[in-house]
Amino acid sequence: MIEVQGLTKYYGPIAAIEDVSFHVGQGEIVGFLGPNGAGKTTTMRILTGFSPASRGTAKVAGFDIHEAPIEVKKRVGYMPETVPLYTEMVVEKFLAYVAEVKGVPRAGRRAEVDRVIERCGVSPVAKRVIRHLSKGFRQRVGLAQALIGSPPVLILDEPTVGLDPGQIVEIRRMIQDLAREHTVLLSTHILPEVTMICQRVVIIHRGRIAMQESMRDLTWNAGPAASGGGEGSQVMELNAEGSPEKVLETLRSMEAVKEVRQEGPDMYRLEGVPGAAPALGPPVVRALTAAGLGVRFLRPKTRSLEDIFMEVVASDAGERR
Amino acid sequence: MKNIWAVCRREFVSYFTTPIGYVVVGTFGVIAGLGFSASFLFYAKVSQSPAEFAYTGVPDFEETFLSPFLVFCGMLIMFIGPLVTMRLLAEERNRGTMELLLTHPLRDREILFGKYLAALGMLAVMMVVLSVHLGLLAYFVDIELAVLGFGLVTVFLMGAAFLSLGLFVSSLAGNQVTAGTMTFALWLVSYILGSLGEDLPKGNPAPETWPETLRVIVGHGYGVFRALVQELPLDAHAREMAQGVVEPKDIAYYILFTAFFFFLTFRAFESRKWRA
Repeated sequence: MIEVQGLTKYYGPIAAIEDVSFHVGQGEIVGFLGPNGAGKTTTMRILTGFSPASRGTAKVAGFDIHEAPIEVKKRVGYMPETVPLYTEMVVEKFLAYVAEVKGVPRAGRRAEVDRVIERCGVSPVAKRVIRHLSKGFRQRVGLAQALIGSPPVLILDEPTVGLDPGQIVEIRRMIQDLAREHTVLLSTHILPEVTMICQRVVIIHRGRIAMQESMRDLTWNAGPAASGGGEGSQVMELNAEGSPEKVLETLRSMEAVKEVRQEGPDMYRLEGVPGAAPALGPPVVRALTAAGLGVRFLRPKTRSLEDIFMEVVASDAGERR
Repeated sequence: MKNIWAVCRREFVSYFTTPIGYVVVGTFGVIAGLGFSASFLFYAKVSQSPAEFAYTGVPDFEETFLSPFLVFCGMLIMFIGPLVTMRLLAEERNRGTMELLLTHPLRDREILFGKYLAALGMLAVMMVVLSVHLGLLAYFVDIELAVLGFGLVTVFLMGAAFLSLGLFVSSLAGNQVTAGTMTFALWLVSYILGSLGEDLPKGNPAPETWPETLRVIVGHGYGVFRALVQELPLDAHAREMAQGVVEPKDIAYYILFTAFFFFLTFRAFESRKWRA
């Protein structure tokens, strides 16, 4: 749904983003991460046609952002970072205006406005002037505005920033819900949020893409950097009863296991051969049980997104210095 | 086309959901009304005893009352016009809603025409107020309706031309105050130059002793300057029009003025695509 190719944007001599390429597939919900000032907003503004790129291009819903900006804008619902709104307007009227501009036919406009009001939970304030709304409701109006006309692609720039914990949970739930019908690209620097709702992450740092991977691969594979394993291998932690020698022997005899190491009393670290990935668990348990050994627990050694993020950001910073 | 209407309506309605629309129309109504009463009383006094005011007979109604009053109204519109135009684009930029405007599926021309039409809508409201005065004249004074109607058109053209200038300034400025102040300053400069222009003598100001070539250059330069100063100000072409004299060149002047600044607005608005 979104194909970004070598996007570069200069502000004067400074490159805000440089050679950014990534893609978001149909129906995916992708988290766009990065420290403040990394270029998240710049990238999103280019994708939504607010500002032009200096170099490179992108396709959104099959249309080139530079050649067919209107077609792109028709297919994108965008919620800008600080949620700018016409503060003197009544919520309902504002949404009706957006519906009109987005080309919702007159006959269906009323229904469409009611639908997004319902969906984003703004009905209690639908008849109020936007200026008088709380931050949480403004955020929802911003989201409602993006949802009008059911665009296939949603681009949300920090949708939960500045909300209280209860509101954050609610907005998150809303976004998760939306992912059923829309492709979502969402920027944030709140990592647990990404872990909770995104299927894939794209990490941008100092204007460059530092990493893009699916959440599952990312946390499931403890990965090379964290645990010294090879590319695509899976690392698991095992707690087994029985003599360590026997455990090690049993495991070493298995084909799917590349390496086993004892890491403490009854604690073992085992690494699967590349490709064996998530299927490593059952055979290990079977083998140990067959050998008369008990398995207390066997779990994939996962990294939290925080670890990964810090790694990426730090390693890149090191390189540059 | 539909989008122009949508943008225009939103803009026009927000004139009246904020105080600005009432301030503009109210100010225009009060000052135009005072001007109308004052100049009407003055005209009445003059026509009762023309000799006292150095007139040989009863002065011409169109020339002595109608035209100055309508030009006054035009100038008044320019005086408060910055209030109408300053917000059009500058405010969107200032409060960030430009990001919504430019990421909704709207073309540049739909945005600009929509906004300009909304400003013209405000002008039309002021014309309604003005037509009350002209209606009084039509009822009490023996005057051709066509003259009054054309007078209304004259003031509208003046206003429309000035609003396009205001829209242009608004497209450059980052906030309303700058836009308003700049527009107002441009109006003042043009007004002062215009009144200065009336006093500029004909002929070549360069002394006879200067070399011939230099004299010719200075002479032509001065000629162009004098012509510009006399012809360019927005009120210069309205005086005769307001008396009911239909001159194509005067009408063309206002239309070209409007088109010129509209063109500049487009270029300035588009510049976001290659600047920054």
